[in-house]
Order: sequence, then C-alpha cells, then structure tokens
Amino acid sequence: MTRYGGLGRTRPKKLTSKASIPIVREHEIDVVDDEVQSTLQQIETGVEKAEESEFHLQAAINAAAQGKDKDAHIPTREVIVSEIQYAKLYPPIFSQPATYIRFSSTVEDCCGCPYNMNEEDDAWLKNYNSKRDASSQCSEDDFEATMNFFEETAQTKQPFAAVDSPPVLSFADMAESMDAAVEESVKRFSKDIYEHWKVRRLATENLSLEPMLKFETGQDTDDSDPFVCFRRREVRQIRKTRGRDAQSAEKLRRLRKELEDARQLVALVRQREVARKEMLGMDRTIFMQRNEVKEMKRKLNIKDDDEDLINQKPKKKAIEMPPRQPNAPQLRMPLKPGLQGAEDLQLLEDVQSEKENEILRDIKANIAKHIKWNEGFVDHTRAPLSPSPERTFDAAAFRPAFTAQLPTPPSSESSGDVMETSLDVTSPLFSKDKLASRALELHDDSHRMPSFRRRVGRGGRLFIDRRNLVSHCRVELDPLQADRFKYDQEDSDEEPTYDTDAYSIQIMQHRAITMAKAREQAAVAAQAHAQAQAQAAQQRRLQADQAGNPQGANPVPNGVTASSETS
Amino acid sequence: MGVRDSGEVTGTPDPVERGLATINTITLGVKAMVQKDGELRKAEILSIRERKGGLSFYVHYVDFNKRLDEWVPAARIDLTQEVEWPRPEKSDKKKSAAITKAPSKNVQKQQRADSREVSGTPDAFGSKNQNVAKAPRSSKAGGKENRDTPGGDVSMAGSEVVSAAGTPKVLDSEDLEMTDAPLKDEVKTASGELITREEEIERLRTGGSMTQNPTEVHRVRNLTKLQMGKHDIEPWYFSPYPDSFSDVDLVYIDEFCLSYFDNYRAFERHRSKCTMVHPPGNEIYRDENISFFEVDGRRQRTWCRNLCLLSKLFLDHKTLYYDVDPFLFYCMCTRDDTGCHLVGYFSKEKDSAEGYNLACITTFPQFQRAGYGRLLIAMSYELSKREGKLGSPEKPLSDLGLLSYRRYWRETLVELLAEPNREAMSENELALLTSMTEKDIHETLLVNNMLRYHKGNWIIVLTDQVLDEHNKRLEKEKIKGSRRIDPVRLQWKPPVFTASSRTWNW
Repeated sequence: MTRYGGLGRTRPKKLTSKASIPIVREHEIDVVDDEVQSTLQQIETGVEKAEESEFHLQAAINAAAQGKDKDAHIPTREVIVSEIQYAKLYPPIFSQPATYIRFSSTVEDCCGCPYNMNEEDDAWLKNYNSKRDASSQCSEDDFEATMNFFEETAQTKQPFAAVDSPPVLSFADMAESMDAAVEESVKRFSKDIYEHWKVRRLATENLSLEPMLKFETGQDTDDSDPFVCFRRREVRQIRKTRGRDAQSAEKLRRLRKELEDARQLVALVRQREVARKEMLGMDRTIFMQRNEVKEMKRKLNIKDDDEDLINQKPKKKAIEMPPRQPNAPQLRMPLKPGLQGAEDLQLLEDVQSEKENEILRDIKANIAKHIKWNEGFVDHTRAPLSPSPERTFDAAAFRPAFTAQLPTPPSSESSGDVMETSLDVTSPLFSKDKLASRALELHDDSHRMPSFRRRVGRGGRLFIDRRNLVSHCRVELDPLQADRFKYDQEDSDEEPTYDTDAYSIQIMQHRAITMAKAREQAAVAAQAHAQAQAQAAQQRRLQADQAGNPQGANPVPNGVTASSETS
Repeated sequence: MGVRDSGEVTGTPDPVERGLATINTITLGVKAMVQKDGELRKAEILSIRERKGGLSFYVHYVDFNKRLDEWVPAARIDLTQEVEWPRPEKSDKKKSAAITKAPSKNVQKQQRADSREVSGTPDAFGSKNQNVAKAPRSSKAGGKENRDTPGGDVSMAGSEVVSAAGTPKVLDSEDLEMTDAPLKDEVKTASGELITREEEIERLRTGGSMTQNPTEVHRVRNLTKLQMGKHDIEPWYFSPYPDSFSDVDLVYIDEFCLSYFDNYRAFERHRSKCTMVHPPGNEIYRDENISFFEVDGRRQRTWCRNLCLLSKLFLDHKTLYYDVDPFLFYCMCTRDDTGCHLVGYFSKEKDSAEGYNLACITTFPQFQRAGYGRLLIAMSYELSKREGKLGSPEKPLSDLGLLSYRRYWRETLVELLAEPNREAMSENELALLTSMTEKDIHETLLVNNMLRYHKGNWIIVLTDQVLDEHNKRLEKEKIKGSRRIDPVRLQWKPPVFTASSRTWNW
C-alpha cells in the first residue's frame, strides 16, 4: 500500500506548464510510489485508433518502454538492390557548388521533350528508317518531337477527350496547327509518323499515350474515384458585384493587350531577324558573284577601276531630310509674325527690363530716403518731394492691359491690336507678375502697352489712370470707312444703353462701391472697358463732327470711364 | 432513434457465422487462416483475381498493419479450418429505418460508388460475388456502430455505409473496413468525433490537411514493385498513379525528377534527356553527409505531385485529394557525383491554422533504419525554432511515425534534463528550448514514467533506463560522429507568403 492509501488517493496537485519541476535521479527517490503513477493517465498516441492496437506497434511500444529500442522494430516490405544499370542511366555529372544551391527550373524545364518513346515506337521507327536512305533518317529526338506535337495538338483541340471521347484528330487538323513555331524536323516526318500515332491513339481509345494522372473531370464520379488526385482547392467565393466584374474585365483586357503587345514584339523581332538573315544571304550572294566577276575579268583580262567589285556608297540623302522636319507639323495656324520670334527677342527685352527695374529701384530707394528724412512731418505742398505712400507713382500699381496674343486668327488690321488686348486681358489665365514684366518691357512707343491703375483721390473719388494709351490710329481711316465700324462692337444685346450723366456724383459713387466690392473682376473689367472706351474715343474723335459728342475726347487722366459709353 | 436501435443490439451481439469453405466458395470479406511467415494468421480476403491459371487472394492480416497486406496463392489459405463468413444481411430493416433520414444525395452517391466499384477496381473477379459478399456485412457494420455510439445514426446518414432502403447494393470498398475487425468500431467511439464523409472532404477543402480518415483509403495496393535509384522497392499502400500502372510488374521512378514510367524504354529515353540532379528548390542546409532543399508546392507543382505520389506509396493516411500548392517540401538528400539523392522529406503547411510544424514525413524504404528520420524530425523543429514557434506533427501519426517521434522527443528531453547543474525546469521552459509543444513534452514525460507525483509534489525523474540510453548514445556519437542538425549551417528564413499566394486556387 502506498502512503496515499489512507487518504483515499488524494488528487495530485495541478501541474501548470510554468511550474518549475525539480529534476531528480531515480536512485534519489523511493521506488515505492511507482505503481500509482503509471495508471494515472491515458496518453494519446496520435496514431489512428484503428491501428493503435496493431500487433507490431504494440510490441514496439512495449519494447521502447523497456528501453529496448533495438527490438522495437516494425516489419516493412522488402527492398532489394536493383539489377538496373545505374551507372548508365545516371551519369556522374553532378559537381557541388561551393555555395548553397539555388534553383528554380521545373521538371518540365529539365526534361526536354515530354514524350518518351517506348518499345512499340522503337520498332516502328527502326522499320521506318530501314526503308529510307541515310540522309533522310528520322532521329529519335525528331520522332519524339513529332509525337509530342501530335499529343499536344490533340490535347489542345480536344481538351475533354477523356470525357466525351471524340474521334482521333485527323491529319488535316494537325497540319492546320503547324505554324511557324513548329520545328522543320517535325513537319518533315509528320505525315509518316501521324499514321503510327493514329494507330497507337486508336489502341488507347484516343486517350493520351503518356500515362496520365487522373484529375478532376467535373463529373460526379470524381469524388469517389481513388485515382482522382490533386484537385483544386475551392476558392472562397467572392461576392460578385458590378464593380468587381468591371474590374476583372478591365484586368483581362489589359492582360490581353499586354500579351498581344508582347506577341507583336516577338513577331517583329522575328521579322527583323529574318530580314537580317536575308540580308546576310544577299551579301553572300553578292560576294560570290563578285568573285565570279573577278575571275572572269582576270580570265578575259579586263582592266578597269573595279568599281563593280566594291560597294558603291549611296549618296547621302539624309541632308535633305532635316529641314523638312520642323515644317512638318504645320497643323496649327502660324502665329503672328511679330510673336513668332518672341523667344529670340526675349533676351533683349530682359536686358531692357533689367535696366528699367534698376531705375525703378533707384527711384524707390530715393523715395524711401526722402520719407525717412521727412519722418514725423507731413508734406502738404502741392508737389511733395516725397509723396505719401498712397500717392506713389509706383509702376507696379499700373496694370497692363495687354499680355500676349492668343493664337487666334489675325483680325482685321485696323483696330485689331486694341481689340484683342482688351479681350485677352479678361482671361484669368494671366498672372500678375507676367503682366507686370510685360508692362515694363514694352517701352518703345510703337509697342507701348496701355496700362491702367485705380486710384482713390481726395474725398473718396475714384480715379482710373491711363498710361501709354494708343493715341493715334496707324491707319488713317476715311470717315466713310470708319463709319462702317461704328457699330461693330454692338454685338451684345444684353447691355442696354442708358442716357446718364457719367459725371454725376451719385453715379460715380455707386460705381465706386460696386467696384470696391468686386476688386479683381472690377479692375479687370475696368481695364477692358477703358480699353474699349479708348477705342471708342478714337472713333469718336474721328467722327466728332458727325456725332457731335465732344465727350471722351481727352485722353490722359480722365475720370472714371462710364461703362455705358463703351457700348 | 439511433439510440433505441443501439439498445436493442447491445443485448444480443451477433454471433459470427463460421463454416468450412472451398477455394471456389471463398468470397470477399471472408476471414480465413492464412500462412504468414511460418504461422497461421487470421486474414480477411479483400480481392480475388485469376492469374496464370490459379486464383490468388489479396489478404489483410487481422491486427497487422496494412502494409503487410499481400497477394497469396490459394495454397496458403488453410481450408481445413473453418472460416468466418461475412455477416449475413439481417439487420437491414433497422438500418433502413436509420437511413430514412439520409438525404437523397447520399443515395445518389452510393450509386456512383457502385459504378466505380465495377469499373475502377482492378479486381477481375465477377462482380456477382462482391454483391453477395459486401452488402450483408455493411449492414452488420451499421448495427455495431449503432450499438457502440449514441447518435450513431448521424454518422450512418452521412457516411456511405448506408445502402438505400436496404437493397443489397454493392458498397464502396471503404465500407468493408468498418467491419473487418472489431477494433474498427473503437475508432469511432474512442475518438469521439464522428466525421461524415462530407465533413471530411469539407475539412480537406478548407484545412489544407494532408491526412484523412481511414475509410477514404483505397484498400488494394495498385503497384507491384518500384524501381528507383539503385533499389527495387515494394510499395506499401495504394497511390493514385495512372491506373494503367496497376497492370505492370515494375514501375520506374526517376530518382531526381521523380517522374514515373511503366516502360523501361521510355524511362531510358527520359533519363537520356533529364538534366535534374537535385530537388528543384533552394538548398537551405548542408553538412558533410546531407543537404536539405526547400521546394515550394506552388512553384514546383509537377515535382511536388510526383513526390506526393511516391510518398503516398509509403504513407497510409496521406491524402492526395487536393493539390500541393499550400505546402512547402523539405527534402533531405545524400550527395555523390551523380547528384543529390532524395532520402526522405517532410512537408509543411505554409500557414498552419492548427500550429502544425509538419504535415507528412517519410524516409524512403531503401534508406530506412539509418537514423534519417530523426534528422528530418530534428530539422522540422529547427525550422520551428527559427520561426519562434512551438510545433507538433499533424495527426494521425503512422506507427513508424509514432515510434520515431517518441524516440526523438525522449532523447531531446533527456539530453536537456541531464545537463549538469540543472535542478529544476518547467514544461514551458522545455518547450521554449525545443520548440516542442507543452503537450508533447508533458506526454513524453508521462509515457517514459519520468513525471511523477512524489510526496505531494511533482518531480521529473531521470530514470536509470533513459540515462543509460542517453549515455550509450553519447558513446556512439563519439565513435561514429554525431548525426545532428547544426543550426549554424541552416540558411533559412521563414518564408513569407502574401494572402494571394497562399490561397489555394490558381
């Protein structure tokens, strides 16, 4: 009896995996306790229960339990040394690299032609070759390649042969699949080998000649057929949505396109190589023929400069080609001649603007100096030496009304310039700095850009100052002609004409308020209007006698231009 | 319903019908005494065929592993003794009652199975005999199952033991298995998890398991002999090589690419073209004797399929139901000037949901009993150590697998515990050092009677027996040199797979 006996076999303490268990040698403890332990737990073997009780396994387990591993032997089936000619089949071709082997070729990559001829093929081939002379023998490799071609073609053309047992593919069908990729050697013997292949195919009920594993056929018998193996694992069904459909369709389309491209590329490469080969052939022929000519010349004793024996260099035509190139893409209307060379002129203008900037900087610096001197004083003289900041004549405050011509067709010569510029400037595409630089660079009288600024005068009066207004027309229109253009701008019916006094204070105030509200637009619009007004003024000046309206004739610092006048 | 049925049956176990038989009256399912290695053993007839004028019988020896099943000539069957006849068809009514629940799909399946039985099995014998032999037995099996298992009818309905409405149909061969020995019934009861066939397949579909229920395994070995490398090998189990291979005497396997041929000429031609000299993957380990290669089932589908077909010949519970994509194959080779010769391998799931570090393992028979299995196991744990995970082999183990593993576990633990100055250790510490699971450690200690409850405390006892063995092993290693995996030589990082590359579709 053990010492637990009296306690009615108390349950042992729970053993946790983290608990440290003392390690002892057997002789350090009493042996008495042993019997209790052995029956404490049934231990799972992990072997299939049906096999757990097998005779040999039990014997082995018992032997192992007694420490006799040598006896723990489970009998297995026989293995004997083969009679096969191992050395012949497995040649010693392996040499171990110093580093660990890295390898990714597949079985298919390593096995060459997948078709392997058997004795039957052997016999047929021997017979076939015996009837032919040495030059037209079919080698084993050619034979296998051809057979493989038939097998593969049959597989692609009758993919479900295993299920619906179609008739053996005819030779015509085979010939159909022989494209450029098929080796010449295959084509050469195909007709003869086909008969042999057909015979063999018929014998196997049109199944593949190479023994094949049985894969799923999609039939119900698959599940219970022990020969069916390596089924595909089922995909977890993804919810079908229109978006996903479109996505996969797109993917497929792209894939197809890419493959198509790749194919195209390969085809072109092939074409190139064929052409190259042809060229080499041609060169060779030429060489051979020249050789003959040379021989002939020697024989006939012809002496000339042998020009026909060397390649005449073709005259270079290449030189004529380049000038045509820039002219080629003449799809757009040519830009205005003045602007065509804008890039070249840019340099000069840069220099000019640089100078202009320098001067302006000087002026500014001087003004700043004056302001500093006068700090704490206000110069209320009529023409102050250092104007108050609000009244500065900073050029930057002037906005040019013109930047660049859009590639529009050239307008009629007369008022074109002004018209366009006034329209162009409304485009929001033009950035301010560009405008500024443009305003400076156009220094020359003939190119002077009209520019404007808004100014608040005494008593809150608003002024638009104009500069560089085109004050003369290049073409002197005769009154009759000018009259034709009188109403040219009246293309917008939306703007009604009001007869108002443009200089009434109320109206001017109102105008000032609206302008202040929409600064940017108003400024731009004002420019546009002013521009147009300038033109109108011109016209009016020309037609002053007829129209009898003297207003608007004074060009420089004018009051706020009335929008009503422009239209 | 099933419970009530089982109640009835429990009271009256069916007597086994015995009687004398002649060669010609022996049918499938009969259990007779057969000469085996000089003694008589009870064996069940699984298949009958006519060869060279005489009948021969494929027999399974009761209580022997299936790998010892074999074809025997009629002369080896002792007909002077009574044989056990397959159970007559009598509990059929009861069974049909149980079946009424079975969905009609099962009936269809049953019929499909029937057609397969006729066309698919290599048995050339008349199918009439099979009819007579099988149907009754299956019904008996049903009865037994009901008796032993409460809710047995559930498993009945799902598994295809059932024949619709009791009609004497030819049953699928796997049904036989349930009846041939009483221990088969224990399978179901003891394991306590009744898996229907559908569930089984479902598990295969989603689980990436490589083993399957014994009922799925085809019973008659299909290959006679194998030529591989320098050896002729007798296969152990069925493997789904092309079915025409059943008819040839010798199947040739290319030692390197593992391609199979039923014809010497074709094999010879193939050898003249094949350039493969080692498993088609990256070498991850190399020492004086062996190399390990890692082969991805997805990238090397053909090779891995070939490998699986081959190893299936020696692994009863391996399934080839699904493809090899979700596995990595670690192949152990010996080297010489012809190449790296595959000695054994183990497969491993790329992502094991259940924490298995090994799916299938085998040393090919020509290299067995030379310590290679131990190296394979050691490598599997070495990989787990690199991964920083604990691992265990996928179950069920085979008999040989169990012995190898138990031995490895014991030796590994003893080696650690016997280190000088070790006074105490927890199972958790052991697990972290060995990458074995705590469960495996605990059970190993118990099996070897090393974990004992002594005076109110748990102790680990290093028994004289295990110490003795340990010392002997050290002695041997001194003389012969140690055969171990040296972690320093392992050039391996746990491979990472994206979700898309791990999915099983292609």
